[in-house]
Formats: sequence, structure tokens, C-alpha cells
Amino acid sequence: MKPRTRSRVTGILGRVYLGAILLFLYAPILVMAAMSFNASEFYQLPFTFSTEWYERVWRNDLILNAAARSVWIAVVVTVVATVLGTAASVALWRYDFRGKRALQVLLFPPIAIPWLITGTAMLIFFFGVGIGRGTPAVIIGHVALALPYVIVVVTARLATFDRTLEEAARSLGARPWMVTRAVMLPWIAPGVIAGALFAFAVSFDQFVISYFLSEPGDSTLPVLIYTAIRKGFTPEINAISTIIIAVSMVVMLIAARFTKFGGER
Amino acid sequence: MAGGIARTDRLRAIALLSPAYLWLTVAVFLPLSAMAFFSIITDVPFGDTEWHVTGENYTAFLESPTYARLLLKSVLLGVKVTALCVLIGFPCAWVLAKMIKGRAREALFLMVILPFWSNSLVRIFSWAIVLRGNGVLDKTLSAIWPWPVKLNLLFTESAIVIGLVHSYLPYVILTAYLALQAIDDSLIEAARSLGAKWWTILWRIVLPLSAPGLIAGAVLVFVPVVGSFMEPRILGGRLGTYYGTVIEDQFVAVFNWPLGAALSFILLAVVLAILALASPVLRKART
Amino acid sequence: MSEVRVEGLSKHYGAARALDDVTLTFPDGGFFGLLGPSGSGKTTLLRAIAGFVEPTAGGVFIGDRPVVDVPVEAREIGMVFQNYALFPNMSVADNVAFGLRVRGTARGEIDKRVGDALELVQLGPLGARRPHELSGGQRQRVAMARAIVTRPRVLLLDEPLSALDKALRVDMQIELKRIQREVGITTIFVTHDQEEALTLSDRIGILKGGRLIREGRPQEVYSDPGDVFTARFLGEANVIEGTGSGDWLDLPGARVARPEGATTIAVRPEHLSVTVDRPDGPNALQARLRQRIFAGAMGTCVLDWNGQMLKAVARHEEFSDLPESGPVWVSWAPRHARGLKAD
Repeated sequence: MKPRTRSRVTGILGRVYLGAILLFLYAPILVMAAMSFNASEFYQLPFTFSTEWYERVWRNDLILNAAARSVWIAVVVTVVATVLGTAASVALWRYDFRGKRALQVLLFPPIAIPWLITGTAMLIFFFGVGIGRGTPAVIIGHVALALPYVIVVVTARLATFDRTLEEAARSLGARPWMVTRAVMLPWIAPGVIAGALFAFAVSFDQFVISYFLSEPGDSTLPVLIYTAIRKGFTPEINAISTIIIAVSMVVMLIAARFTKFGGER
Repeated sequence: MAGGIARTDRLRAIALLSPAYLWLTVAVFLPLSAMAFFSIITDVPFGDTEWHVTGENYTAFLESPTYARLLLKSVLLGVKVTALCVLIGFPCAWVLAKMIKGRAREALFLMVILPFWSNSLVRIFSWAIVLRGNGVLDKTLSAIWPWPVKLNLLFTESAIVIGLVHSYLPYVILTAYLALQAIDDSLIEAARSLGAKWWTILWRIVLPLSAPGLIAGAVLVFVPVVGSFMEPRILGGRLGTYYGTVIEDQFVAVFNWPLGAALSFILLAVVLAILALASPVLRKART
Repeated sequence: MSEVRVEGLSKHYGAARALDDVTLTFPDGGFFGLLGPSGSGKTTLLRAIAGFVEPTAGGVFIGDRPVVDVPVEAREIGMVFQNYALFPNMSVADNVAFGLRVRGTARGEIDKRVGDALELVQLGPLGARRPHELSGGQRQRVAMARAIVTRPRVLLLDEPLSALDKALRVDMQIELKRIQREVGITTIFVTHDQEEALTLSDRIGILKGGRLIREGRPQEVYSDPGDVFTARFLGEANVIEGTGSGDWLDLPGARVARPEGATTIAVRPEHLSVTVDRPDGPNALQARLRQRIFAGAMGTCVLDWNGQMLKAVARHEEFSDLPESGPVWVSWAPRHARGLKAD
């Protein structure tokens, strides 16, 4: 085969393959979204458009309460994790001290250890020290999971900050705090925003930790969905799931505008 | 004077770092340690229950072949899912990193990676709709195929594998993509100019150079899959008993926390062993 | 060893023409320098010969074999990349052996030829090192050894010295030339450094906007550039325009001898003399000396003639009688004026 023909053939094959992967990734989500607008309760075809299941979600206090709780928890987690994480990133970036490597390595376990282990360990410990189950426990757990993501994202942005800018500002007589506020924070703002959005997504989508830490009847949306699925699912779950996936994808699309997910852009 | 500056710097560093790390200590590291303690006592030490130190939670694991069998089953599931993710994801990362250029690549990369950051529970649930008997997959295949198809995949191991691959594939593509992008195109051109065919280039140049990234990605998929319980529950039904679901049961159904803690702790040991084995590679992949 | 030819070679990217109908022969065993500013198409031409660029039209021949439809890996070329492209996961010896291994050469033969190639580039004892443990010049040598060990029909060098610092670059130029002579391989190299091209090449080709505008031996092209672009690109040139009448070129306030029919002439800075008094004969212009620059053995005079800048270069002593600045006469022997085609 001529090189010309061959490179064209591989180019087409590559794109077809990529298309197949995207189909695999998105098809089930799209099917679920379509079914949430289907009138039939048992996914019967032909498809009849209906917003009945969304209306039912809107009238279901259990779902609405769980949704409100999920959002509220995610907002608190976002604020706490972003503030603590940004402070830690700045310190890790600015200061050199013994044990810095170790501190960076310690960010790894919350990400790498299966949530099942972390979640059950939290449950045991929080019971032992009297925090018990419930929303405060969920928030403590979510913040711990979100912190490493915030620190990684903000640190990546800090790495692109030109240290001589800070030195220049200091040589002009600016106090350290002024330097931080006037020079550094504006530069790392996109990283901080991206970190905050990651934190929101981690909390809003988190199921395993919430599952072990939330009290029955006082659960977050994903926990409610899990319970409902195990009882036998209804199209209402499709509707609320479609909303959730839309929210988290939009949040991550916005985050993508501020960070590059580690890829070259 | 120099000492004074160093001291204020140290104080600032401590002030900035301690909130985050205290939080991690309270929420992650102390709980993991507490679990070690819990795994060697007879009953929950809350209220006025009687408890004492014992090794029987671990001997339970050793005496009943069920737990070891389930752990093995979970590990095998992890191997299957990881292998599939790498086999499917690596070529996809190759297409993205080396065959598509410019803005299209940026957009496609985002599309591939986006599902990973959306709700995993909901994505697993969406497969339940697709795979159920006489569901969307069966209907679509029947429409394309000349004779009726009854795959009825839901509540089989295949369903669990499909769901988990779907969950973690974007992550493998991400790590493989980063590793491949770090390989300079001129290395591949140099190999071609020296007469190497594509399989030689893949085997001698591309795979060795991207191995750290690939292995890191594989480990970070394998570990959570071994500890999965939600996916087997939803997609596996009664078949979906794995090591993770047994641990879940100890905490939410049977309420045998010490046994759950012991089982969890054994899983943690397995996970830590794997991470430790892979740590030279993980460190290399990060730099 | 083979002669390499391109015939009517074009490469278009949409409306942009990276290469536009280039026909050129690279003589067997010669050292051919492709020279041009960035975007001139020189790298595209080299990559088309290598096979990394598919031409839109035209042919490439290595020996008498047409290779447009032959993939890179079957073209029997050796190539040295700008960044050397050494395989970081292999030792120096494994890098050099790579091309022989993929050809299935016997192990003993590989060891011998790798050893010889490393001797040739004077890296005999470093075979076990990794590329990242080498200096820039050493990497360059490994890349050379790797490219020639397979005994390719043509050696392609893509800006091979641009990553080195100035002093090392001069040493490596001498090395490159020695290695090429010893091996006797047809070599084509791309550079934007005109001095490097003049030093190394037996022949040079100058590209501009995808077209080959001049080709020849370096001395020929330098002494008779033929057009304004080449005159300015290859070395420095004082380009003077006037209106022709008979054997003469009329300039504002002066009349100078002109080569046959030319209205634009070029005089190299080393051919201009600068004097305080008016010299005998024609070809003298009255100008102002703006600045004298001392640069070791050589000196430069920067002159202003009717608002146009002229440059004169000579051994430093020749300018010692001149004032720091002021009115002077600039002159040249008629045989040093070259007629140029306008751009």
C-alpha cells in the first residue's frame, strides 16, 4: 500500500475508534436521559415524550430535601476545602523545609485508598469520638477528600507563577502580605476557581463516604438514589439522575476553562 | 537576623499548612489507625458493651474460605477491568495524542475525560437501564441483527465489568495520553528513519517510554475496583457478592463492625502492598 | 551511496505553498547545504526526501529509485534531528545498534559495526552511557553514529548544530566534515546559518518562499549572488541602485562602472575602500563616516551615503588614518561590482 493511502486509512480507523469510545462513554447516559422523558414506566418503546417524571420529582419532598442537603453540603465543603487547600498550596510552594516531600506524599492516600476503606474507617472513628453519623460527619469526610484535589490543582497553577515577580514587588517595598494579595492571588485565581469547582464536584458526586456517614432519613441525593435503585428503580430516578449528571458535567466544563486537566492545550 | 527571618517563615509555613493537614489527620489518618484497633476487639466499645482484645476477627478470615475466595474474586475482577481499560484506552490515547492536532484534540480530550468527573453512581445506574433484559441494548441489536437477540446482560459478571470499565476508562486514557504526549514525535521519526516498522517502534520505543504513566494509571484503576461494592450491587444483583459488598454488609446490614474493620484492614493491607510495589513507578510517572 | 534528485517537487498546505516546483540534484558523495530563512521550505524539502512529508506533486529519487511511494522506513536513509532524538530508554550503544537490530543483522556484526561507528565519532568508551549523561556535543556524535551505521544511501541533517553553543559549533563543523569525508556518503543538510553552510558544503541551494532561487558552489554563489535576496542573505552586501546609460550607472552625484546591463549592483563590504582624499578613477562616492567599529583583527566602517547605509570591512590597520567621523570617499574596483536581478 502506498504511504499516502496507508496514512489516510490509519487516520480514518483512528477516528472511527475514537468515535466508538465516545459512543461507549456517552450512550448509556443519553439513553438514561431519553428514558427520563419517556412516558412509559417500564421503558416501553415507542417513545412518548413526557415530563411526568420531572414533575413527580418536583412534588417529591424526600428528593427535594436530599437535593437541597447535597447542594448545601457541597457549598460548605467547597468553601472550607478551597481556603485550607489554597493556604497549604502556597506554603508548599513558597517554603522549603524538611519533610515537605512527606507532606506532599500524604495527599495521596485520600485519593488512592478505596473510599470503601476510608468511609468505613471514618464511620468507626467518628462514632468513637462522639461525632457519630450525620451531616457534620459527611462534611468532615468530604472536605478531607476534596483537599488533595484543591492542593494539586492550585499547586499546578502556582508552578507557572514567576517568582521574580514576587521579588520585584518586594524590592519595590511591598510587604509580604501585600505581595501575596496584589501579585500572587490574581495570578493563581484561575487555579483556585478550578480547585473550588473540583471540590464542589467531589462533594456533590460523592456517594461512598456519604453512604456510610449519613443518617438514614437524612441522606444526600446519591445515597437516596442508591437506596431507591436497590428497592427497585422508578423513572423518577432517571429524571433526578439526569439532572445530577447535567449539573456535574456543567461544573466540570466550567472547571475545564480554568485548568487543563493536566493535558496540553 | 537571618535566624529571625527563618523563624517567621517557619511560623508562616506552619500557620498555612496546619489547618489542611490537621483536617486530613482527623478525617483520614486517625480513622485508618482506629480501624486497626477496632479490628482486634470483640464488640463495639460504645455504651456499656463488654469488649476485649481478640484475634478472632482475623482468624475468621483465615478459617472461613469464603472471605479469601471473595477477596480473590475481587482481585480477579480488578485484573480484568484494569486489563480491559489499558487495552481499550491505550490506542484511544494514541489517536488523541499523536493523530489529532489542534483545537479538535482539545475538545475531544475534554469529551473523553468529562464523564470521569461526573457522578459514577448515576453512570452505573444508566448501564442498568441499557443492559436489562429486553432493554435498550437488546432492542438495538435486534433491530440491526437479522434475528432476535436476547443478551440479557444485567445481573451478570459481564455487566459489572462493562460498568467498571466505563467508570475508569477515561482515567486510563488520561494517564496514557499524558505519557504519550511526553514522547517527542522526533523519536518516532528517528526510529522510522532507521528502518523500524510500527510494531518495533511500539515495542521498543513507545511502550518503554510510556510504561511509568501506564502502570500508574493501571494501579489507580485496579485499587478502587478491588474495593468496589456499589457497582456489583447495582449491576450484579444476587451474583454481585464481592469482597467489597461483604464489608458493606458488616457495616449497614449485619452490624458486625469489628469483623468489617478486620476485613477492611486486610483490604487496606493488600492495597498498600500494591501501592508500595508500584511506588517507584508512580514517583517516576509524576516527574 | 547514491545521487539524490527531486523533480518538480511541490507541497501545498491549502493555499500556502511550502514547496513550489523545486527541481534539484544532490550529487553522489557530496555535502549539500540547503539554506534559507525560516519558512523558506528548506525543512519541508528535507522531510519530503526523508518521507515524512508527502509531496503534493513531483518526484523524489534516491539513486534511480523513485521513492515517493516508499514509506520512510524503507527508504534507506540516515537522519540526524535538530534535537538529536536519541532514545532515552536505551544506552548509547543500543541507540546506535537500533537500526541494525531492526534489519536483523547478526549479533557479532552489530557489535563490530557499532564499535566502529563509535570510534569514528570518537566516542569509543561511552557505549554504556545513557543519552542524558552526555554533553550536547557528545549527543550530536551519537546521533551521527546512529544515522550512518546502517550505511544509508543518503544522510539527512536537520539543523544539526543549532542546539550547540558557538564555540562547540565550530568544532563540530570540522568534525562533521571529517566524518562525512571518511564515510563518503551523500549528505544533505538544512541550516539557517549562512556561515555554517559556506563552511561545510560542496554545493549550496538557497530557498525562499518555497522556491529554489539559487544553486551552486559556495564560492560561486557568494561572489556572484545574482539577485538582491541572495546577495543580502549570503554574507553582507552593499546594494546600490541607479539608472543605466551605456557602460555606466548614474547615481545621485556620481557615475560608476556597471556590469553588463545592470541597474542594481552589489559590492561586498570587504571590497570597499574608505579614504579621506578622493581616489583616482571612477567608482567613488562621497559619503559620511558615521562610526568605526573595532572588532579584533578586523574593523568595520559604517557609512552614510545619501541616507543609505553602507558598510566597509577591512583589516583594522587600514582604517587607522581615518577620523572617528566626517566626510570620506568610498570606492571599489569595477571588477568587484556584481550586477543583480531585482527581487
